[in-house]
Amino acid sequence: MMTRAAIVVCWVLAIGLALFLVLPLAVIAAASFSPTPVFDLPLSGASLRWYGRIGRLDGFWPSLFLSLQIALLSTALSLVAGTLAAIAIARGKLPGATALGTLLVSPLMMPGLVLGIALLQYFRMIGFTATWSALLVAHLVVTLPYVARTMIAGLSRFDFTLIEAARTLGCTYAGSVIRVMVPALAPSFLISGLFSLLASFDNYPVSIFLTDVRSKTLPIRMLQYIEEAPDPTLAALSTLILAGTLVLLLISDRLVGLHRMAGTAD
Amino acid sequence: MTEAVLSAPVVKPAPDRERLAALGFVAPSVLIIAVVFVLPLALLLGVSVLDSKGGPTTAHYVRLLGTPYYLGVIWNSLRLGLLTTLIAFVISYPAAFALARARGPLRSALLATLFLPLAASVIVKAFAWTILLRSDGLINTVLIALGIIEDPIRMIFTQTALIIGAVNIFLPFMVLPIYAVVAQLDGRYAEAAATLGASPAVVFLRVILPLTLPGIIAGVALVFSLSVSAYVVPTLLIGEKYPTLATTIAKAYLLARDPGFGAAAGVVLLAIAVVVVALSTLLSREPK
Amino acid sequence: MSEAAPHLVISGVSKRYGAATVLERVDLTIRRGELVTLLGPSGCGKTTLLRAIAGLAPPDTGTIALAGRDVTHVPPHRRNVGVVFQNYALFPHLTVAGNVAFGLKVRGTPKAEIDLAVRRALALVKLGHLGGRRISALSGGQQQRVALARAIAVEPDVLLFDEALSALDRKLREEMQVELRRLLQEVKATAIFVTHDQDEALTMSDRVAVMNKGRIEQLAAPRELYARPASLFALNFVGLSTRIAGQVVGAQDGMVEVVTPVGRLSARGAFQPGASVIVATRPEQLRLGADAGANSAAGRVRSVVFQGSRTLVDVDAGAGASLLAELSGREAEVPRVHDEVRFAWPVAETFAFAAEAAP
Ligand SMILES: Nc1ncnc2c1ncn2[C@@H]1O[C@H](COP(=O)(O)OP(=O)(O)OP(=O)(O)O)[C@@H](O)[C@H]1O
Ligand SMILES: [Mg+2]
Repeated sequence: MMTRAAIVVCWVLAIGLALFLVLPLAVIAAASFSPTPVFDLPLSGASLRWYGRIGRLDGFWPSLFLSLQIALLSTALSLVAGTLAAIAIARGKLPGATALGTLLVSPLMMPGLVLGIALLQYFRMIGFTATWSALLVAHLVVTLPYVARTMIAGLSRFDFTLIEAARTLGCTYAGSVIRVMVPALAPSFLISGLFSLLASFDNYPVSIFLTDVRSKTLPIRMLQYIEEAPDPTLAALSTLILAGTLVLLLISDRLVGLHRMAGTAD
Repeated sequence: MTEAVLSAPVVKPAPDRERLAALGFVAPSVLIIAVVFVLPLALLLGVSVLDSKGGPTTAHYVRLLGTPYYLGVIWNSLRLGLLTTLIAFVISYPAAFALARARGPLRSALLATLFLPLAASVIVKAFAWTILLRSDGLINTVLIALGIIEDPIRMIFTQTALIIGAVNIFLPFMVLPIYAVVAQLDGRYAEAAATLGASPAVVFLRVILPLTLPGIIAGVALVFSLSVSAYVVPTLLIGEKYPTLATTIAKAYLLARDPGFGAAAGVVLLAIAVVVVALSTLLSREPK
Repeated sequence: MSEAAPHLVISGVSKRYGAATVLERVDLTIRRGELVTLLGPSGCGKTTLLRAIAGLAPPDTGTIALAGRDVTHVPPHRRNVGVVFQNYALFPHLTVAGNVAFGLKVRGTPKAEIDLAVRRALALVKLGHLGGRRISALSGGQQQRVALARAIAVEPDVLLFDEALSALDRKLREEMQVELRRLLQEVKATAIFVTHDQDEALTMSDRVAVMNKGRIEQLAAPRELYARPASLFALNFVGLSTRIAGQVVGAQDGMVEVVTPVGRLSARGAFQPGASVIVATRPEQLRLGADAGANSAAGRVRSVVFQGSRTLVDVDAGAGASLLAELSGREAEVPRVHDEVRFAWPVAETFAFAAEAAP
């Protein structure tokens, strides 16, 4: 009886949670088709005019490219560095491996804004003024912890005798890593890649202190648009990003299964 | 792993190749974290005890920890963090069990709703909530149409709005770690406990809760540290009325040009985060 | 090439981890087509020796030659060995057929040939119908067979099994022992089988190497190992025995006279008078009654355990000594608990071992 009631509560909460999470996204999507500049719901019609306006936003393209560059580069670098570190930590051949793991993951829980001001002062002090490079290294600190966290969890479940099995079957060490470890860790790669991409692409608190007037990342631009002249153009842009992510998620679900990705996200 | 290392006979290990390789593997990551994370934060600590002329001072901390206004600011941050974490946990923990039981397309759909919000910028989501919570917004319209209320409730720019928005934005970070643990929970443990005569309540308290504790700790630590230092959410959903440490830092740097004070506020926020990390590491350490 | 030619020659192989010596000057020569078991207690270095042969843990000193080639410094992927790991180490992202094909694929074998070899290997382990299955959808016994098929598909020069059967339940394990034996003879494989299960070792192998603390204590055919243990360790590790401590009082022609709490006993062994020894014999050598010219001892029956075809009798011979006798089911007279009995056993089946070596 009691367990049955508990199960019902679990399901109600799960469905409610899903709806609650989707609600603001649905609002954004709906607002993007609004025929008027004010977001009135329910809509009094539908229009695609805001989609056409995205590209004409002031400074939109440079910001988009900057954000994409930084997100892709920092994610790629973090995936390499974080995976290597996770291998060493998960194999436990290092003294203090657990502490090292905590160190690498801890920036995830540190306030981004504080990191932002700290970096601002630090870069100023050491005379490091190149905005682009400053953004990139700062975003490495944003993305690396996601990769380290997920890959350490994934690798600690990985059975390293699989590598030995592959080697005795005729693979070189590098070959067995590629043929055996990479497929087994594909969910971890995907999820940490996705998380770091989004974390960097959406980062505001760190970037705000490191950008100048000429190079603003997209989130900074977006906040500026909202404050200056809120109209559904941003909603249109977000809807496009959401649609893209949805496609990515569908592909990932087909390839490795979202549950395997979510299962490694601890 | 550590267990095995500790229980192995104490031998002086030769400097072997594997260990060198391991060192080489962690080197790039450690270098990044040391140079772009640890050093800047250490510098921040230094700046927080300097006055405008560069001399040592504790004035910033005295101001921060000695004036009721700033104590209120610190409390605001903690309150935001605590409330968000509590509500997110109460929703997420049971939901994770349902999620773990789901199969097929339903599971994929439910999980997609956890990942998808991460793709929408915090800024845009917060803005969506302002649309939803306005007096003439969707929620009021629905409530009035249903006859639950007669006049629109004022929600936007209230603490209710702030908490709803914060819970919404940080929920996935609570559900995912808990789900990861619950999904791996072996049903046989609960069955074994039941065959030993444990009632469902005892099974839950003695078996399921301890086994899912690592996920709870991870989720709680993550959501608390994210929400206690949230900047965009309070700025857009409540504004000046609810100053937090994060908004105070931003103001000190971007408007007041008072880096010493901003740094001190940053150090306080940092200290909160460090306590969270330390606590979660301590709690999730396996009992010896 | 003759059947008796040495196929795998391990000479003087040592391996240390830090200050611990895990293998100490191990010598082992295995003929083509032979099945040798490494038998020993946990931690004695069996896995390490196997890994040294596979190239996964190269030895510090010594050489390993396989099929007439010195492979001491050859990396594992160019050794042509087949390993069946204890947990099977099957690749979870590949199907059954994908696992079996793996070794051939990385060798660049043409596809048609791979298909043929996979089919043959799977048929050999009777899993021809499961090629498309995922690994996670297999039972433990089936996984074991896939691991075997994967190892033999590459036609390795030597097959290495690390406790390959220990994860199976007893009945399945016994079936697999017989089947594996048949299968290995069928493919004429040279194989090394690691186990700490003495029955498995005696059932499966042509020869058994008893390992202790990184050394091979004895290398012999199962029957000889049982009947003529070379050391107290080998005696204890394989089969049951009666063991009585005593002092040598006379020695001559490889025979010793030993004074023990149960009386004077004669045993095979070369010791100086005065040496402390353990006198031992196998339980099935003991017969009820006295017998002139044989060793004998008397005592009170402590327990009688009926085991179907045989009965085990434990006798308290006084002064801390005990006798263990195994009487076959045909024997008319089986003593009862508390009976006073005398047992006799042949001098030729009595051995003396140095007492210090007692574990
Ligand atoms: N990589 C290693 N580093 C340090 N010590 C090791 C390593 N591998 C094995 N050892 C040690 O070497 C000894 C022999 O180990 P090995 O695995 O060969 O034993 P084993 O005979 O296979 O035992 P078991 O029957 O338990 O599998 C053990 O004391 C073990 O702790
Ligand atoms: Mg072993």
